[in-house]
Amino acid sequence: MSREAKIIAFCCNWCSYAAADLAGISRLQYPGSIRIIRVMCSGMVHPEMVIHALDKGADGVMIIGCHLGECHYIRGNEMALARAEVIADTLEDLGYESERFRIAWVSSAEPERLAEAFREMSARLASLRETDASPSGIGE
Amino acid sequence: MLPRLSFECLHGCSGCEMALLDCGEQLLGLLDRVEIVHFPLLMDHKYHNPLSGASDEEGEIILPEAEIGLVSGGVANVEQLQVARALRAQCRTLISLGTCATHGGIPALRNQWTSEETLQTVFAYGSPEKALLPSEVPALLDRVYSVDEQVAVDVALPGCPPRPEMMLEVIEALLRRESPDLAHKSVCETCPVIRKGKGQGQGTMQRFLANADYDPEEPVEQMRCLLEQGLLCMGPVTAGGCGGRETPLCIRARVPCRGCYGPVRPGGNQLLDMMNGLASNGIDYRSLVDRKSLLRFSGGHGLLKPARKRKESN
Repeated sequence: MSREAKIIAFCCNWCSYAAADLAGISRLQYPGSIRIIRVMCSGMVHPEMVIHALDKGADGVMIIGCHLGECHYIRGNEMALARAEVIADTLEDLGYESERFRIAWVSSAEPERLAEAFREMSARLASLRETDASPSGIGE
Repeated sequence: MLPRLSFECLHGCSGCEMALLDCGEQLLGLLDRVEIVHFPLLMDHKYHNPLSGASDEEGEIILPEAEIGLVSGGVANVEQLQVARALRAQCRTLISLGTCATHGGIPALRNQWTSEETLQTVFAYGSPEKALLPSEVPALLDRVYSVDEQVAVDVALPGCPPRPEMMLEVIEALLRRESPDLAHKSVCETCPVIRKGKGQGQGTMQRFLANADYDPEEPVEQMRCLLEQGLLCMGPVTAGGCGGRETPLCIRARVPCRGCYGPVRPGGNQLLDMMNGLASNGIDYRSLVDRKSLLRFSGGHGLLKPARKRKESN
């Protein structure tokens, strides 16, 4: 149970991937189990890509895009937001906890915010695993 | 020697076989050129080799050799698994016939619960006693599988049931040693209704309780797209082919598509694709009631699974 939660993070090319770059240069600390996948825009991440990641063994998936209103492609992140609501709702239907998915907005000048989002997601998944490990039916 | 055909029906309703028999005269033309060696629904045939000396209950399942095998229905218990494996071993080409065989179909709806929960609900609802299958009945697998999850399948022919002409076309193509030409596009591809484009529909979805808006005197080409009328039509996320090159069958009856051909791409997820389509067109997908049933025909391949047990937070 010491394994860190594996997280797939889809980062958009223009803001959050640049932020991840800056986080690296600035030597900010965040969990090493994050796998960043660069996409051109958060709006191109189809819900099936998220489900595919979970089906293949990821513990959690994040989509990280530019702040709303600052999308390089004008409205791509609004599309991502509409899709994120669908994903969060549908995950439960497909047998996953909705906490396994998160969408966040990070500009290219906010590496600290990105690292914080990564840490927060990792902690959330760790607590999810604790509840998984406890015997079912014994609630508080 | 004539090419041999072998038919088998697993966890299905045998409607696919009925549809094949529904081909009419074309079927008679086919029967002259093939030999049917195994078809439990039509002819008596024993599964066990009487010469092996094994008793009927325990003997190994033995099917005759065949060039083409057609299997309908999913795999839900150990006996069906055994039959599927035996059929695969004896057939050069195996066709999964119908949506149950290709995607799990209606029986795979029970993949939302564990097998124990299903037995309890069906046989002992409200009773404190545990529901058990009699030992003479083959044990259930943990869920309903599509045939291709258990054995290799060469041709997948979905549909509930598949279009009779399509079944014949596929068999004929295989007899000519060609690879069959199957539909690769969605139901909308051959749908002739009036579509006005993105953002032109209503903002919400309603249940199909009242008829669609159309003039029965006019042909279906004059009807507005059902999805744009606010009815949940599964056309965009469902593989086409039900109406051949013509209007899809349900649309002909002015009824929204129910998705019986399964996802357009193999491995697609009809629920997710439909929700994604609605959301990215600005339609309030939360107005859908019981959206899980969008996977009513394609719950196999692990798409429907029991909800994970979690601790209540309060």
